[in-house]
Amino acid sequence: MNLAHLHISLNHLPIIGTLVTLALFLVAMAGNHDDLKQACLALFSIIALFAIPTYLSGPGAADAIKESQDVSMASIEAHQGAALLAFIFMEITGAIALFGLWRFSRTAKHPWMSRPARLNLLAVLFFSIVTSVLMAIAGNTGGDIRHPEILSGPETASTVGSLGARLIIALQHFVIDSSMWVWPILEDLHFVGLILLLGAVGVLNLRILGFLKQLPVAPLHRFLPWGIAGFIINVITGFLFFIGMPGFYIVNIVFQLKMLTILVAGLNLLLFQCTSAFRVLEDVGPGEDAPRFAKVVAAASIFLWIAVIILGRYIPFGEVT
Amino acid sequence: MAVPLIFKTIEESGLSTWIRDSPSIFAFWFIISLHAIGMGLLVGASAIIDLRILGVAKDLPLFPLKGLYRIIWIGFAIQVVSGMLLLIAYPTKALTNPDFYLKLTLVALAVVVMQKLKTKVFEDASLSDSTMMMKGRALAMWSLLLWFGVVTSGRMLAYTYVYIKYGYAG
Repeated sequence: MNLAHLHISLNHLPIIGTLVTLALFLVAMAGNHDDLKQACLALFSIIALFAIPTYLSGPGAADAIKESQDVSMASIEAHQGAALLAFIFMEITGAIALFGLWRFSRTAKHPWMSRPARLNLLAVLFFSIVTSVLMAIAGNTGGDIRHPEILSGPETASTVGSLGARLIIALQHFVIDSSMWVWPILEDLHFVGLILLLGAVGVLNLRILGFLKQLPVAPLHRFLPWGIAGFIINVITGFLFFIGMPGFYIVNIVFQLKMLTILVAGLNLLLFQCTSAFRVLEDVGPGEDAPRFAKVVAAASIFLWIAVIILGRYIPFGEVT
Repeated sequence: MAVPLIFKTIEESGLSTWIRDSPSIFAFWFIISLHAIGMGLLVGASAIIDLRILGVAKDLPLFPLKGLYRIIWIGFAIQVVSGMLLLIAYPTKALTNPDFYLKLTLVALAVVVMQKLKTKVFEDASLSDSTMMMKGRALAMWSLLLWFGVVTSGRMLAYTYVYIKYGYAG
């Protein structure tokens, strides 16, 4: 399997997934179904996670087909531009949804009655609508690369495509050429994000495993937004590294493994620790043991995030020369 | 200023050469990974204590967080060992860079602040959480600031060195 295969097998999930989840979300909002709202927030976060490898495998897929006669560079560039914008808005949607999910998992009764909670939902709604439009354009321009026979050429698609293509160039200039200090500062922030993530997730998981047993589990959940903030910092800074030197990363096996591990670790974190699955832990008071299942999840979480750190440090080792 | 010859002697030693030049995955990259994990434990655990003292997760009883000092010391031990190995691999690179001395100074200050925090806040289990928070507030802010300085000056070592090895300009 090469990156083109990966890109083709992943790319329908963010596009169709966003549209379907948006439809479900509208139903949940209109009918005020709290469980469905929670499910949609989880789905948006999951899709945002899967959008990462989808986006990152794009340049590799482009490299694989660039040489073919029937592929036009213009159509690839239009797709890359549209995909960039769709990706950015998808990640924003996922981040806000994840925060909403965390809020939801803490309050069992009437979780969406407060004003900030309603604003949180409305923000998810707004960004998911924008993302859906951009995803549709990314899908359309992507389809045009290999299927020129369906080329529809709507004006909006090419406008969005060229806007995104200009953004790629601007970001690349910012990361690589604007100053020699941009990269080091991004690296510094990437490490700060690592610390926030490992600190917040680590202390919760260590308690679940039985270390620091005098602590009640529920209030530790308050640290999770700091961990999520760390993760978001690292998605942004990591994305800028990739935009700056895509050729260095796309074919690097250690980088690919790191992305895979982040996917698994991220799913673990958001499914088991940011949804109401967490509520079984609400009653674990000082000195009490957490359920065995929670311990397995906690141990997996610590193991996976440590693996992400190690793989990150080994990326230069995996450089293809 | 001349670079001391001892750096060259260290660089020519078997251990230094092995860490620097071995293609083994357990050489340089393994040690630098350990250094990142040790940082996560040391600074991550410190930051959790600091944030709690500054008012995050107010429902969480403060005193039992004293147990995190064990993680802090495990992290610190990993940092000393892996840091020494990295220093043995690249003595000229580190010791000719003023930023390295800045980092060591900030590490020392951060460790002293964490230790002061421990004696001031965590020595007396009978203190109420709000008293502990009041007593630790300034130290917790210093701790966050100093650890940020440590991480930043550490990260900048990769970008500010003058020599990569004895006699080789960066």
